[in-house]
Amino acid sequence: TRSVLVKLALFTVCLGLAPISTYYLSQKYLWDGNSTYAAITSIIAANFVLVTYIISAVRDDSQSQKPAPKAESETKKDR
Amino acid sequence: MTDVCPPYAPFFGFAGVAASMVFSTVGAAYGTAKSGIGITGLGQFRPELIMKSLIPVVMSGIIAVYGLVVSVLISGRIIPGKYSLFAGFIHLAAGLACGFTGMAAGYAIGIVGDACVRAYVYESKVFVTMILILIFAEVLGLYGLIVALILDTLTNGVTC
Repeated sequence: TRSVLVKLALFTVCLGLAPISTYYLSQKYLWDGNSTYAAITSIIAANFVLVTYIISAVRDDSQSQKPAPKAESETKKDR
Repeated sequence: MTDVCPPYAPFFGFAGVAASMVFSTVGAAYGTAKSGIGITGLGQFRPELIMKSLIPVVMSGIIAVYGLVVSVLISGRIIPGKYSLFAGFIHLAAGLACGFTGMAAGYAIGIVGDACVRAYVYESKVFVTMILILIFAEVLGLYGLIVALILDTLTNGVTC
């Protein structure tokens, strides 16, 4: 389906861009040139993208499961 | 050039940069490919589970990101003419540590991802188990990254 593909493309771009950009941006603006702290920050950003993906996948699955039992219970009431 | 900073010192530093990127990418490629086989098997029967079963692939990508970060970190330290042999050896060790642990982590993620994704077709409670095992496999790569970062901080003392 289309929305799944768009979501996956978005996460791919995020996973590619987030670590490198946080490394250089945090090295310049946050940590005053200290590259070890910049590396730690970029790893935290990459793992944050991973956790966001896991949460989004689990929520997507539970949302697609919810309408099916509801439709079943309504047909049982109609009887 | 002095004895402390010989001209061939950057060889070891750049070998560390290359080792970190190359070996962790080998691990990530194996993880992606092996779990991808299981995901295509799952996709034939239950296509609605594909988003959740792509998690091993994303975790393999994170392993490659660990190697990338160490490479960028090391290559930022190499200054021509002022690079000591001690720092060269340190960076070689850091690159090899991150690279080979990334290879190990990617290998584990691949095998676990393949088996758990195939089992997920039949039993949905395998999902939480898969996430737990994948986190433990990923942490192997993180240990290599931590060792590389700590090693890199040792280069501050020596000057030419």
